Amino acid sequence: MTLFDLVVRSMRKNLKHYYLYFFALILSVVLYFVFASLQHDSTVLERTESSFTMASGFKAAGILLLFISGVFVLYANSIFLKRRSREVGLYQLIGLSKFTVTRMLVTENFLLGTGALAIGIGIGLLVSRVFLLLLMKLVGIDGVLTLSFSGAAILQTVIVFVALLALTSLQMAFAVKRSTLLELFKVDQSGERIKKPKTIVSTIFGILGILLIGFGYWLSGHMLNSLLFFNMIVVLVSVILGTYLLFRVTIGWMLYQIRSSKKGHLGLSNSLSLAPLMHRIKANANSLTIITVLSAMTLTMLAAAYSTYYSTEKETRLLQPFDYMIDGDATIADQFTKSLDDAGIAYHASTIEGIELAGTYEKKLNPLFSDRDTTVRIVSERQLSEAGLQIEVKDSQSGVILDAPTYWIVKSAKVPLNLTLEPKRFNKNISIERFAEGNAFNMVEFASTLVVKDEKFQAIKSEYKAVEETQLNDAIVINLINKSDFEEATALYNDIESVSKRFDFYTEYRKTLQSSGMLIFIAGFLGLVFLISTGSILYFKQMTEAEQEKASYRTLRQLGFSGQEIMKGVIKKQVFVFGLPLAIGLLHSIFALKSASFIFMSDVTVPTVIAMSVYIGIYLVFAFLTVGYYRKTVQAAL
Amino acid sequence: MSQQTTMLEATSLRKSFGKRGQIQHVLKGIDFRVMEGEFVGIMGPSGAGKTTLLNVLATIDRTTEGSIKINGTDISSMNDRKLSQFRRDQLGFIFQDYNLLDTLTVKENILLPISVGNVKRVVAEDRFKSIARTLGIPELANKYPGEISGGQKQRTSAARALINEPSIVFADEPTGALDSKSAASLLGTLAKVNDERDVTIMMVTHDPVASSYCNRVVFLKDGTIYSELYRGDQTRQQFFQEILKVQGILGGDSVDAL
Repeated sequence: MTLFDLVVRSMRKNLKHYYLYFFALILSVVLYFVFASLQHDSTVLERTESSFTMASGFKAAGILLLFISGVFVLYANSIFLKRRSREVGLYQLIGLSKFTVTRMLVTENFLLGTGALAIGIGIGLLVSRVFLLLLMKLVGIDGVLTLSFSGAAILQTVIVFVALLALTSLQMAFAVKRSTLLELFKVDQSGERIKKPKTIVSTIFGILGILLIGFGYWLSGHMLNSLLFFNMIVVLVSVILGTYLLFRVTIGWMLYQIRSSKKGHLGLSNSLSLAPLMHRIKANANSLTIITVLSAMTLTMLAAAYSTYYSTEKETRLLQPFDYMIDGDATIADQFTKSLDDAGIAYHASTIEGIELAGTYEKKLNPLFSDRDTTVRIVSERQLSEAGLQIEVKDSQSGVILDAPTYWIVKSAKVPLNLTLEPKRFNKNISIERFAEGNAFNMVEFASTLVVKDEKFQAIKSEYKAVEETQLNDAIVINLINKSDFEEATALYNDIESVSKRFDFYTEYRKTLQSSGMLIFIAGFLGLVFLISTGSILYFKQMTEAEQEKASYRTLRQLGFSGQEIMKGVIKKQVFVFGLPLAIGLLHSIFALKSASFIFMSDVTVPTVIAMSVYIGIYLVFAFLTVGYYRKTVQAAL
Repeated sequence: MSQQTTMLEATSLRKSFGKRGQIQHVLKGIDFRVMEGEFVGIMGPSGAGKTTLLNVLATIDRTTEGSIKINGTDISSMNDRKLSQFRRDQLGFIFQDYNLLDTLTVKENILLPISVGNVKRVVAEDRFKSIARTLGIPELANKYPGEISGGQKQRTSAARALINEPSIVFADEPTGALDSKSAASLLGTLAKVNDERDVTIMMVTHDPVASSYCNRVVFLKDGTIYSELYRGDQTRQQFFQEILKVQGILGGDSVDAL
């Protein structure tokens, strides 16, 4: 019998050990291949090449994906190796040299690898169309599907996975080389000896863990200052370190306290949850920390991306309150309205007068970021409302400032606040009652808009007309009655040849939709990969634990505990194993999103909740799969 | 010793394994009875059906034919859930490889069988103290199985079997993994427990020394009862010689000793 025969034979006999690793390999191949095909797809290439951020986003995502797949496959391989250690030991016991055993494992690995590669690419070819369709839908392109058989994507996938196979083979070789026979036969019984925690040290570290997380949370809400970047690093480090301490010390300490308070009367469900958890607390601390941090990252990424996508229209509207705007050039406006008339498109046009003046606030709006000097474009509340933008002003002495780009900085300013307009000799003061979100004009320039009552506006206008510093600016804004005319109208708008500045909602909206669609796609894709990886890692780990505890379940069944009673304890353990990383990850991500909320002008609670619910839903599937596996194990134990 | 009441009664037990055409009959009609307070040993060569008999009587496995009554309850018609409940309330188990939960301390292991149910904590604590004292392991209460010797593990296992005050304790080769000194000490304790607490014990073993601690030894051969020996007023040594004699006739023990 040749070595190859032995390999094939052992693989056929051990299918149940292999399928886990095989599944992990196939999954990684499929996801990587889908991503690679999208990367090489002409439609996608066209879109991404035009935008630097999209192109680099895609590239970064590719690297991240590669990294995650790599870690995932290596991890699955290490579990696979552990499960087979007895077999490896047996081969050595009957006299095969370590080199031969390694050669055998590597041969197997390559057989498995090529199989997974072929199957994975096959599945990938089928599903990549679905993903492309999804991408096109998200970015708002209704084109014909062009995705063709991409040789480059296949080649890229093959190269990556052959490299990965080489890496896993090395991992196997190392594992065999390092192992001693004794160890190989003892793997199943491994577990930590539970020591009484050193009270003072573990109390200190336990509390430190909570403190670090708390400090990170606190700082994340207070980091908008000149040390922003430094603060971000500090937040990351303290939260991650805190999470590790939490899993490594705090929770172990708490479990120990609970257990000692029982004085030996542990009860069945604690015996099946608390005790095994404590038994593996050291080994679990690392993976639970990684899973928590990964979950937090994924949740934040998904929620942020989805919020961006979800509020694209709202946010664009805030920046471009009118469908079309022509700044200061009446002839061009006429030209546009005429072509709209010709095309039979219904619209509403109106003119908003504006006076641009310099001014000084009585104090800084934000102690760190802003200046007291400003330039405002004063407009009338009535004219704005006639054009379709309702901004309420309290009384004739007050005004409202709109300036979308700086809104997140100035929104915390204390109001009312006095603004003195230039020139000073006029002694004109306006009391700013609030800073409203969004723009009053389609992104014209970086000038704030000051909305006042109409009578105030007319007074200022007549008073300042003679003053040479005064700049009068009329904007003609046009809103379509029927939003379905957008495409046609925008084409007409773009046909007008003029050097004057033009801003329209629709073009901006499409542009934003494309980039945010791409963003949510990439985030969703990566999120899915992260989620599947973390979920599978937990599942694999629990599978191994279930195998290790099979003997306990058998004993318990013999002692007269029913399967259901045992499952109660098992489920309690799973609630801990799956629930804790999820809960802490959620908490982390909520604080991360809160601290990053300034990038959104609109409220993102709804999209955040949706994104998180989807995540939790898929995550729970893994928990249910795990419980199902345990149930099978417990049933089969007797 | 009062041996009036029957604790366990098995009538024409049959057990076969395998599918049609390839059926293997392991128990071929066994009638068997254990009285309250008895310490019964089951002996016989490999493949005689000792462990199968124990499993069937202990409700871990089902019979193919025949009925079993334990403490007046017919268990052959019970469903799984009821059997589980029955095992927990009425039976105690000692296994060859201890079957302790590695993640639990000695005390937690011992208290496990009464952890679900209506035994009050104070009562449970009292029972634990008394049993731990009888078995000489009170100082091990907070140790983990990984930290104690084989003999101590088996004492723990025995304590666990006794904590629910069972009608009958089933022991499957309890000394199989122990050195002779630990084995002797454990058997002495079991005999003491049997005598002092009036606990009914049924023990499967291939070791004539172990079975010499019993009141009665039943020999199995090829799935039927071959013979029975009562200790009566003999010393343990005399009883041991008797057992050896029967075993010699039965043969095959050298294979079993593997």
